[in-house]
Amino acid sequence: MPCERKPMRYGHSEGHTDVCFDDQGKCIVTCGSDGDVRIWESLDDDDPKSINVGEKVYSVALKNGKLVTAVSNNTVQIHTFPDGEPDGILTRFTTNANHVTFNNSGSRVAAGSSDFLVKMVEVADSSQQKTLRGHDAPVLSVALDPSDEFLASSSCDGSVAVWSIESQTQVAQWKVLQKSSDVTNAKSLCRLAWQPRSGKLIAVPVDLTIQLYERNTWTHVSTLSDDLITQVVNVVVWSPCGKFLAAGTVGGNLLIWDVEAKLCIDRQKHEKGFTVCGMAWHPSGGRIAYTDTEGCLGLLEGVSSSSSTVQSSKATAAKEANDYDDLFDEDDDRMLDEDMSDSRSPVKKPIMEDEDDDDDDDLMPATGRPRNRGSFLDDDDNSQDPSSVKLDGLPEEGGSSAVLPAVAPVVSRPVYDGPMPTQPQRAFQPGSTPAHLMHRFMMWNSVGIVRGYNDDQDNAIDVEFHDTAIHHAMHLTNTLGHTMADLSQEAVLLACEGTDELASKIQCLHFSCWDTHKDWMVDLPKGEDVRALCLGQGWAAVATSALMVRLFSIGGVQKEIFSLPGAVVCMAGHGEQLLIAYHRGTGFDGEQALGVQLLQLGRKKRQVIHGEPLPLSRKSYLAWMGFSAEGTPCCVDSEGVVRLLNRTLGNTWTPVCNTRETCKSKSDHYWVVGVHENPQQLRCIPCKGARFPPTLPRPAVAVLPFNMPYCQTTTEKGQMEEQYWRSMLFHNHYGFLSSSGYEIDSESQAQAEKEQQELLMKMFALSCKLEREFRCVELAELMTHSVVTLAIRYASRSRRMALAQRLSELALEKANQLQEEEQEDEEPAYQSREYRESNQMNSRQAQQENGCEEEEVEEEEYPQEEQMDAEESTETRKKFLNPFKKGGKSPEKPSPKPVSREGRVNPFKVSGAGKSSGSPAGQPRTTNVLDSMTMSRKPAAFSGLSKQSKAPVLKPLAPKPKSKTQATLLQMSASKGNSKKLEDSQSEAEKVKPAPVAATPPVLKENTENKKPKTGFQLWLEENRKSILADNPDFEEMDVIKEGMGRFRTLSAEERLNWTEKAKGDSDPKKRKREDEDEEKAAEQMESDEASAKKKKPLDSSAKLSAFAFNKE
Amino acid sequence: MDPAEVEFLAEKEMVKIIPNFSLDKIYLIGGDLGPFNPGLPVEVPVWLALNLKQRQKCRIVPPEWMDTDKLEDIREQERKLDTFTPIPNPYYMELTKLLLNHAADNIPKADEIRTLVKDIWDTRMAKLRLSADSFISQQEAHAQLDNLTLMEINTTRSFLLDSLNYMYKLRSNLQPGRSKDY
Repeated sequence: MPCERKPMRYGHSEGHTDVCFDDQGKCIVTCGSDGDVRIWESLDDDDPKSINVGEKVYSVALKNGKLVTAVSNNTVQIHTFPDGEPDGILTRFTTNANHVTFNNSGSRVAAGSSDFLVKMVEVADSSQQKTLRGHDAPVLSVALDPSDEFLASSSCDGSVAVWSIESQTQVAQWKVLQKSSDVTNAKSLCRLAWQPRSGKLIAVPVDLTIQLYERNTWTHVSTLSDDLITQVVNVVVWSPCGKFLAAGTVGGNLLIWDVEAKLCIDRQKHEKGFTVCGMAWHPSGGRIAYTDTEGCLGLLEGVSSSSSTVQSSKATAAKEANDYDDLFDEDDDRMLDEDMSDSRSPVKKPIMEDEDDDDDDDLMPATGRPRNRGSFLDDDDNSQDPSSVKLDGLPEEGGSSAVLPAVAPVVSRPVYDGPMPTQPQRAFQPGSTPAHLMHRFMMWNSVGIVRGYNDDQDNAIDVEFHDTAIHHAMHLTNTLGHTMADLSQEAVLLACEGTDELASKIQCLHFSCWDTHKDWMVDLPKGEDVRALCLGQGWAAVATSALMVRLFSIGGVQKEIFSLPGAVVCMAGHGEQLLIAYHRGTGFDGEQALGVQLLQLGRKKRQVIHGEPLPLSRKSYLAWMGFSAEGTPCCVDSEGVVRLLNRTLGNTWTPVCNTRETCKSKSDHYWVVGVHENPQQLRCIPCKGARFPPTLPRPAVAVLPFNMPYCQTTTEKGQMEEQYWRSMLFHNHYGFLSSSGYEIDSESQAQAEKEQQELLMKMFALSCKLEREFRCVELAELMTHSVVTLAIRYASRSRRMALAQRLSELALEKANQLQEEEQEDEEPAYQSREYRESNQMNSRQAQQENGCEEEEVEEEEYPQEEQMDAEESTETRKKFLNPFKKGGKSPEKPSPKPVSREGRVNPFKVSGAGKSSGSPAGQPRTTNVLDSMTMSRKPAAFSGLSKQSKAPVLKPLAPKPKSKTQATLLQMSASKGNSKKLEDSQSEAEKVKPAPVAATPPVLKENTENKKPKTGFQLWLEENRKSILADNPDFEEMDVIKEGMGRFRTLSAEERLNWTEKAKGDSDPKKRKREDEDEEKAAEQMESDEASAKKKKPLDSSAKLSAFAFNKE
Repeated sequence: MDPAEVEFLAEKEMVKIIPNFSLDKIYLIGGDLGPFNPGLPVEVPVWLALNLKQRQKCRIVPPEWMDTDKLEDIREQERKLDTFTPIPNPYYMELTKLLLNHAADNIPKADEIRTLVKDIWDTRMAKLRLSADSFISQQEAHAQLDNLTLMEINTTRSFLLDSLNYMYKLRSNLQPGRSKDY
């Protein structure tokens, strides 16, 4: 009749423990060396009631609502049960009592102490004491006869004595034990036990056996032993019916005998083999609770099957099983919390009591028990390693299924052994530590820290801001018992779950409020509890247990509410964005099935992500979710993988970092508190051996770099690819920000773009080196137009004409694209643009300025370089080029640009010319160019003039992209100047505007304009705005533009051209100066080069390139 | 050099602070500092850290060696060996004094650290005096002392040099004939 062993759980700190059941068997009561008595409603009760009774508790006994404990202050105390109020001191010894026990009726308590005495006290009147003297060593254990006639005691002196209570004399004594000097040295606790009811037998653990002595004759009747027992028996207990005897040994064995048959009916082993030091039989006989010296509590289940069938009907047994089910229903809900606090570790802390029952019972009504247990085990272990689950789980399963027929004979359905559903993870606040901790972080985000204290003296909340300029620190008393918090620059949002009497409340401290009422509070409807909350800019959102999200304004106005498809997991807010993660369904085998919604709550409300699944690592759960400082959604799972939303790839999630890789040991974790895209920083708190940090000492924030899991990042290629894509990903936010109307830092954007192009060029050069021309073209496709021209130059110099040709086709394509876009821009630029492919967008900005020159370059170069090329391509090109010229190139002419154009064009031309001449002289020339490039770095390279090999060609690999960089830099500065001007003029234009225009459009417009050079149309519009407005005074900005566009079109071509020229004409003097400088430099270089005399142009450019390389260094 | 000067030099040491304000990079002669992000540790010289601390603009993160366990180890080592042991920071005494005087609230177990550092200092000074004593009594021409910090050298320098000078004078007076050779 095997019974089932439940997994041990943490009960007390290490040390001696004792356990008993209450009279009804509803609770398990344990005591431990931490001085606490804990009352467990079930084994999986995560919030046991704790009563501190002293420094150390040696023994506990419970009867009739009196809890008697033997405490280290040498007293035996009474507490009321279950309230735990102290109810006086029963008796005192000169040293501590080792064992206390009640008699059958609960009227008396017997206690044996280390001062050799045994005392018997009336519970009702503690003055009536009887002291039994006679032991010569500390008393180990006492046991009262059920009929109140005798008392048995065991002592370290090696004797077990039976006393007549009446006469206070020893009636029998057996010297059967080993002598020891003290309880701590005693081999066994030697807990004695009278057979219940009749009291006919007394069981005495003696070494590896249990001796049974008969009442009255006091003779040894029988011995119970088993081969399994290899170490001393510590504890014995009788089943309530008196037919069975259970024993726990020092070696962690648990055995049950049928006493009459002297048959060992069950053998169990403690899962870790710790010493069993406390055992108690459930009053109804179904279970045995036991504790070990490591402070853990365990339960043997199904013992009832044997005893109860004998003792009572099957019906009661079934009922009992049901009770039991109820008891354990709640455990599933807590699994995740346990997971989070590293369930298996012995420091499992009691977790906040919660909440609605799970519906696992509905899933499998009859087999509910083993099923629950199975998932329980799975859950418990999956945070550790899946393999151990099976090891643990299998015997369990086997055991339980064998028991089942006996417990509930109705069950005959096949046992399901497919994938197990995972317990859905509980709702949490990202950046908070578990709610059951006394001192915890309720929120740690980029704004500040909210700490919650909930200890004996204080229930308070501390709010502290990283930046004291936002607000001074606050200390709030937490009378409502808030458990959730969020913090923004404007407000602190707090919420508590409801209780029976009180509704769930939301409290907002709106400290940035300008009136005198800084806070507001809202009660949720009865039965609805807050599960998660977050703050955005000007709004707050609360997700509730009613699967609803409620939006509030920051001032407390209730706004939209909407339903969620599943229970919320967490929420995050940033600006106008609201990110919600919720349970999309049931996950299996340790996986969570989460969905995510991203809403835009601004003026134009819309849903950006419509509940797509949120990707998580295998068998992990969501650990943090939020926004980067720049507003990109980001999530972290329990495996430490950080994922960032990639808006340019259809809102996919890209892993950008694995924090576990940087952890030193397996149990270390990083607790993420913030993500920054620019600079790329993952801010987190390293936690040694835990998932979250303690509040004290104050944890320090560490910064981790991002590292995308690209292949072969040890090679140069892999590295650069990783860098490039990371850079692309982390600068996506510029596109998003500008599209949603925020100001962006165009300088850093340009910087980023420069970096990306630089990387592309490096990769290009690398591929060239590896003779991967196809790859070169692929890379060139990612480049901006201007960089492609550089690549062409590079290719043609390294004598890869096929490549150069393909590239030039590509460049042409790009130019066309560019031109088309420009044309498009002319008109719809004023509408708020949807964010497009960032790459192209960026490139366009960079190029628009000089795109035309480059065009020109090509044009000049093509006839020479590609003479053999098909005629038609040139023609088509021209066809495309001409309109472009009209738009862009002609206005350039009056600008100082031609100077720089000369510089850039010529080198290319020469290489082309060299080729076209087809003479061998062309080759030295090309080398010449390259040599002079490298020369600035290594003048010695100049000697290699005649040598036309690949090596010298490849040398400028590094400086190459730099030269490009310089080029883009120039452009950037130019465009910047332009946009600045534009802004000015724009603001002027706004001044002119009579009617106040809504705040957003101008901002938007400014932004879009920042990104592209001023056009003639804009200039024209500025001048004519007044007249348009005069004609149509009620026009909004948009209308003005539209109207203006119409009018502009009616102008003659020449007039338009004039305007465009005007627009282009004002490239700023700064740029000119820079270019002049460049030219000077180039000239100097030229002079230094002897071979330069005739060929000004090629040298010019190469010199320029080298100058850049030099600059860079 | 007087102690104040040495302390001044010590103020150039870098220390981590957690600012509670936001500021861009600042460009100083000695180098660029920052950017300062609230809540994010940043390295600054001690002088700036203390200045900010006094204005309650930051919390100071104690240097790694300023930890009771590590200092205890050093103290044991120092007591065990006859020679000077390497010290985690060449300005340990000055930094301890500066940081503990101005930012004791940011340093856990400040008092213990103060005592430990004082112990180390005393042990080392005792060693220094002892070696100076044996140097003079044995009339050595030179001695090698490794791992001495600037502050420690400074405390004995003037005294030792002056006394050596005097002793030299006294000795040369004893042998007047010889002194003329010099």
